[in-house]
Amino acid sequence: MMEKHANLQNGKTMTCAEFQDKLPELFESGNDLSGEKHLQTCETCAALVRDLEYIAQQAKLLLPLHDPSPAVWENIQSAIQHDGNEPGSKTNDTPIK
Amino acid sequence: MSTGQTHPKPVHQHMRRNPPIAGEAEAIARAQAGDPRSFEMLYSLHKRRVYSLCLRMLGNVAEAEDLTQEAFLQLYRKIGTFRGDSAFSTWLHRLSVNVVLMHLRKKGLPQVSLEETLEPSQDDGPRKDIGARDLTLSGSIDRVTLERAVENLPPGYRLVFILHDVEGYEHNEIADMLACSIGNSKSQLHKARMKLRELLRTGERKESAV
Repeated sequence: MMEKHANLQNGKTMTCAEFQDKLPELFESGNDLSGEKHLQTCETCAALVRDLEYIAQQAKLLLPLHDPSPAVWENIQSAIQHDGNEPGSKTNDTPIK
Repeated sequence: MSTGQTHPKPVHQHMRRNPPIAGEAEAIARAQAGDPRSFEMLYSLHKRRVYSLCLRMLGNVAEAEDLTQEAFLQLYRKIGTFRGDSAFSTWLHRLSVNVVLMHLRKKGLPQVSLEETLEPSQDDGPRKDIGARDLTLSGSIDRVTLERAVENLPPGYRLVFILHDVEGYEHNEIADMLACSIGNSKSQLHKARMKLRELLRTGERKESAV
């Protein structure tokens, strides 16, 4: 359940809901969120921010994965030879933006 | 909130991961001119990234390899249309994303309509299930656990999370790839992280209950 926590920020009361509405933009701003006044008094939102930062940080663990098996390139070569064209020669395809 | 001051780079802003690759521009030009060896070089340079995207989105090696093959065959046919308006890796990724999405739609899976999954939903917003204080992540999430949680994200969320947080694309690039707004990409990323948090916390709770 949503914690009914509110505090004062810039002279106005900021609720958890208001803070969380701002969160996507706050993350994308690149600023250090630890200075956010709401976080200094709201442990629920502080924990949320810590977790979301942690998840974004841990996402780096997911690179790199493995290479595809050599069969993939063999199949590509085979299909290309079957096509009998040079790269880019099928110009009637829809261009990528 | 901006104070005009510079701040240290926070942890959630990571380094860009698609820097220029030495020799790539020449290989592209030669491949466009019909040189098969250069096309092979482009395959070698980008196969891992394309395959990783396919594997994460499909969760199945055989399907991921099929789609990797399809993506590079499309690249072979369309490389002549690459004009360098964006980085080649971004262009190729956009092509690969389209291949993956087409495949998912053909399979008829729910939640793979990009228009639908990228549409902001009030029902799935950040205030849902914020949780109690004792349910925050322990700070010991390993790669396998995170992989599993990512697999359980809805495809639309998963795609934006992979493109941004794993592969390091910017929101403007993702918006371009997925034909959505930058705001939509940001919103989807936030929801993806929120959903991951929920999934990871649920996993921790299950583990501690055993």
